[in-house]
Amino acid sequence: MSSDLTRAYLADLRRRLPADITEEIADGLATGCEYRLAMGQGEDDAARAAIAEFGDPGRLAAEFTRVAPGRRAARILLASGPAVGACWGAALIAAGAWTWPVPHLARLAFGAVLLLTVLVLAGAATSRDSYRRTRLAVPGGIAVVMLDLTMMTAVLSAAPAVTWVLTIAITASLTRIGLAAKLIPRVLAH
Amino acid sequence: MKAEAQLLKGHLDTLLLATLEAGPLHGYAVMEALRQAGGSRFDLPTGTIYPALRRLEAAGLLDGNWSVVGGRKRRTYALTAAGCHKLSGDRAAWRDFATTVTSILQARPCPAT
Repeated sequence: MSSDLTRAYLADLRRRLPADITEEIADGLATGCEYRLAMGQGEDDAARAAIAEFGDPGRLAAEFTRVAPGRRAARILLASGPAVGACWGAALIAAGAWTWPVPHLARLAFGAVLLLTVLVLAGAATSRDSYRRTRLAVPGGIAVVMLDLTMMTAVLSAAPAVTWVLTIAITASLTRIGLAAKLIPRVLAH
Repeated sequence: MKAEAQLLKGHLDTLLLATLEAGPLHGYAVMEALRQAGGSRFDLPTGTIYPALRRLEAAGLLDGNWSVVGGRKRRTYALTAAGCHKLSGDRAAWRDFATTVTSILQARPCPAT
């Protein structure tokens, strides 16, 4: 009976949280049961008390979601957007980028991917009770890297000269690529 | 009691770091150590402690490692050098704060009206 109770509780958690977190909770739950059995409680009472100690699975999952590495990574990448975007905006205006021979469709496609990336990262950054949703930081982070690489390649091939404003924008993008390369593996590890 | 729990939550990170100062512990042992040190006042919900340990690990203040104990996988946390440094800073700040508050709250006779 007690193993049924804890098994059902852990099955519920497994649907909400990554395997390594559920395994840690499983050990804590078993330790809590053993502790109570040693104090003379019955198996069922010990299991119920240990489960009550960890609380509602939804609430526990929400606590872990709040501190999920994906949520943090998405927030950092989103926060970098205005600064890097301002650098590129200044560089493109200074270079008169509207006169460059870039196809209209390519400009539209870049804008659409940028908007989608912001939405994906915002989804991960604002997740309150879905740990799975925080993992959107991975595709969002990869998209940020691809957008930065595309921008740098396109501008370096189209710009007639590399100005100091352009150098600042490229440095900002390279810094963000480095940041994303550090954050994405941390999200994948959990 | 609820107000005390809120007050404790504000110092949760420092309390967890201090609990791990003596040596590595797993999540349930951290909670038990806090309970034994503070009695019922330190009876924080377990669901708060485990995510906090993960958060401190992500911040580089704790190092989490898996081992197998009694056939079960167990995650144990230890203070990192950055965690030790943070604990020292928090401890000094708390002592200053407590000294100031104690001095202000010291009982004095009320002036006669």
